[in-house]
Amino acid sequence: MASNAHETVDIYGVKWSKWSAALSRRFDIIVAIILFLAVTAAFHLHVMLLVGDWDFWVDWKDRQYWVTLAPVITITFPAALQYVFWEKLRLPFGATFAVVCLIFGEWMNRKFGFYDWSYFPYSLVWPATYIPGAIVLDVTLMLTGNFLLTSLTGAIAYAILFYPSNWVMLAAYHLPVEVMGSLVSVADYIGYAFTRTATPEYLRFIERGTLRTFGGHSAWVASAFAGFLCMLMYIAWWYFGMLMTKVVTVPNKMKTLMGLKADPKRSVEAI
Amino acid sequence: MFKFLKKYARQMRLVVGLGLLASVSGQVLAHGERNQEPFLRMRTVHFYDMKWNTTEVPVNGEIVVSGTFRLFPEWPGNLPPPKRVFLGNGTPGPVLARTESWIGDVPAIQSGQLELDRDYTFRSVYKARIPGNHHVHPMLNVEGAGPLLGPGNWLAITGNREDFRLPIDTIDGTHIENLETWGVGTVFKWHALWFAIALVYMLWWLRKPLLMPRFLATEAGNDDLLITRGDRMWGAAFMVGTLVIVVAGANWAEAKYPRTVPLQGGEATWEPLPKQAASVKIAVKRATYDVPGRSMKINVTLTNNGPKPVQVGEFLTAGLRFVNHDVPVAMANIDPLFPKDLIPPSGLKVGDNTPIAPGESRTMMLEATDAAWEVERLTSLINDPDNRVGALVFFFDADGNRSISTLSGPIVPFFGAGK
Amino acid sequence: MSAILASSADRSPGRFVQYKWPTICFVGTLAVMVFYRWFQQTFAWKTGLDSTLPEFDATWMMLFKVELPLMIALWAGLWSWLWVTRDRHLDQLKPEEELRRYFTLVLFIFSYAFVVYFAGSFFAEQDASWHQTVVRDTSFTPSHIVLFYGTMPFYVTFGVGSFLYAMTRLPKFAERISIPFVLAVTGPLMILPNLGFNEWGHAFWMMEEFFSAPLHWGFVVLGWSVLALGGLAAQIMMHIVEVMQRIDAQKAAA
Repeated sequence: MASNAHETVDIYGVKWSKWSAALSRRFDIIVAIILFLAVTAAFHLHVMLLVGDWDFWVDWKDRQYWVTLAPVITITFPAALQYVFWEKLRLPFGATFAVVCLIFGEWMNRKFGFYDWSYFPYSLVWPATYIPGAIVLDVTLMLTGNFLLTSLTGAIAYAILFYPSNWVMLAAYHLPVEVMGSLVSVADYIGYAFTRTATPEYLRFIERGTLRTFGGHSAWVASAFAGFLCMLMYIAWWYFGMLMTKVVTVPNKMKTLMGLKADPKRSVEAI
Repeated sequence: MFKFLKKYARQMRLVVGLGLLASVSGQVLAHGERNQEPFLRMRTVHFYDMKWNTTEVPVNGEIVVSGTFRLFPEWPGNLPPPKRVFLGNGTPGPVLARTESWIGDVPAIQSGQLELDRDYTFRSVYKARIPGNHHVHPMLNVEGAGPLLGPGNWLAITGNREDFRLPIDTIDGTHIENLETWGVGTVFKWHALWFAIALVYMLWWLRKPLLMPRFLATEAGNDDLLITRGDRMWGAAFMVGTLVIVVAGANWAEAKYPRTVPLQGGEATWEPLPKQAASVKIAVKRATYDVPGRSMKINVTLTNNGPKPVQVGEFLTAGLRFVNHDVPVAMANIDPLFPKDLIPPSGLKVGDNTPIAPGESRTMMLEATDAAWEVERLTSLINDPDNRVGALVFFFDADGNRSISTLSGPIVPFFGAGK
Repeated sequence: MSAILASSADRSPGRFVQYKWPTICFVGTLAVMVFYRWFQQTFAWKTGLDSTLPEFDATWMMLFKVELPLMIALWAGLWSWLWVTRDRHLDQLKPEEELRRYFTLVLFIFSYAFVVYFAGSFFAEQDASWHQTVVRDTSFTPSHIVLFYGTMPFYVTFGVGSFLYAMTRLPKFAERISIPFVLAVTGPLMILPNLGFNEWGHAFWMMEEFFSAPLHWGFVVLGWSVLALGGLAAQIMMHIVEVMQRIDAQKAAA
């Protein structure tokens, strides 16, 4: 190993001593796991508390609020991570990484929380997927190399892809059934049958009747609106990612207390 | 350290004991109703004439719970009125599957508005799902007020969870064998597919030096080495593939399920029972709660406005039924499956049990004494910022006809010392 | 430390990345989390539904009364140890040792992130699966006793611990306070005091379990601060690269 100290390797045009390159790979693995855990925690917390109910329950997944809110709320961390991954590392998978973390966190809980602990069937509590939109968002950024163009094209694609990519799973739950002489969807009936004591029917924040369905295309209208909001949200969170990951330091005023040598000259705080 | 262990030895034994108990028993405890503030139980919804068709049932067996409830006229001012209400059931999770629920003759699958000072009949039908002993309540969820629980009864479910089935036929003729598992296969497969696609997409870069090398190269401006033509081709292929799979998937779903309906979010309209004028008017002169004696004493003036003489048969509040043992028809009014712990054995003591003649106005004492006040935590009434008692009082005439009056008034605690 | 530096020619990753303590932390944390989940599965339905019963006191309040003092003891112990054993001669720190300490810091942050996952994701959404299913009758529910009073103080231990480790053992972090580091530690830490607002709302005006309710948004905003780990990662990368270059320069000079 000692001989490595003199050897160098070229990585992406930068010379590395061999030992430090090997060490950097170790760093990669540890930090990748840290990011996976931390992003899962923060993004999942964000989603469960902003769009949670729509994502928890099949009888909340409506054509209006779910289709609008879910993409808008979930484009946030992908945008922020894209800033870090792309601007600092030229890695084109910030969005995909974020939603993989999110869906992993969600499934862990749907299994251990909703299914194992609270007896809910998977048919009631499956999460939506955001991966197709995230891949398109990532590739758009990679191909354009520009966050504004990504916002104008990728962000709207993220929102538009949300409904069809989830309709594959959801369609079966929108078959019509007759219960007690009333028409309901299978999803309504599943939510009705497997009761949530403290979350009654009226709490559902769902489409209660549209003014105009435009030939039954209200989900697409909601998707288009979500696309517009996603464009704005994407930019906002790109900048938020920039702000939060800025390396800023201020002098440590506790140095003397720590028994370290004080600064020879007065320090000037710079933020 | 030893002192600490000694101090907590009893609790530790209890924990170990409970652990053993937990491992062999399927019993679950009542859930939270006792810690609901007394005003939520005394002055909102009173459930009466409750009936259960059974208290023991195998998995997939049917349970029917029915009864009547009255919305208290003096609804607490700190709660929103019942403009949006849902007929729920208080259970420890979805241990039952609800198959039907009715208020009057109208389905209660949706939420709707109810009127104060009116009575409504209800009926809920369930299918037993999770084995164990469960405490099951009828319940009204009132928007802004939360869950308001009725009397809870114990239900023993036997059998295996795996045997549960909830089948249904859709309008277009599709037979669903079990709603628990319906559509779940597609959900699992679709999620697994996208997880795999995402991982393969990311592995293209994860397999190469990742963080520090890319960080330095980005700083150095080596973009052409960081994102190569191969990377772009890889990405473009995934983008095209993603679009193709999504479009194909959505088309597959459309073709497989051509007739779908949106979530149904309508409101129900429920009719109350015809309003019957209370034959007896109740005026509370003074109500006290004797804390050490666990006794509520209410001095009331009862005015019989009805055509026949009546006797006080029952005092019902917060699910507790204080029944006057001297009125046989009141005793006969108790369903055999009604939970015994909610019928205090000492019953209701009435100052003067002789029938109140039509037109007569009589002042007397009603006394409800039992440890149930303590057990049901209704004594925490004295902690409420609005100390009022609310109840239904049942009157019976000689023919067994019943009329129901509401009782409401301030209550003063008595702590056993002073006045 | 001297043993580590004995063979100064050794530059294998194993010399700088030492897994003993992180592994102990990881296994210990995992064991605690498995215990919590087991405890919930075993006792939540059996004794956790009615807070007025002695069985509730004997299980849930007992867990609460045991875990909180243990957590506070862990805080006091770890943080005091980190402070008392601080390096007062950071100006004499050898680059190899500094590099080793950087990796220890990264592994410290790994322990932090591991618990943050359980608090922010696993037990947090489980809170919905519990409260939307039952009638809430106390602030100390089977979900909250684990989530708010178990896992959250636990990650505070590692969060503040990692910050103190950096400040007391790494010259650049001792010299200047890293704002992303402060954010990444204090944001999640503030979720704990924000609990007061949550309970205030549930006690006085929010009677139903709508998980996306504005009452919960304080947790969301504070959770965003985890993004600052990106800034901290960038900072640590810059520092590590600088130390590696210093080591290479020394070697070349020798």
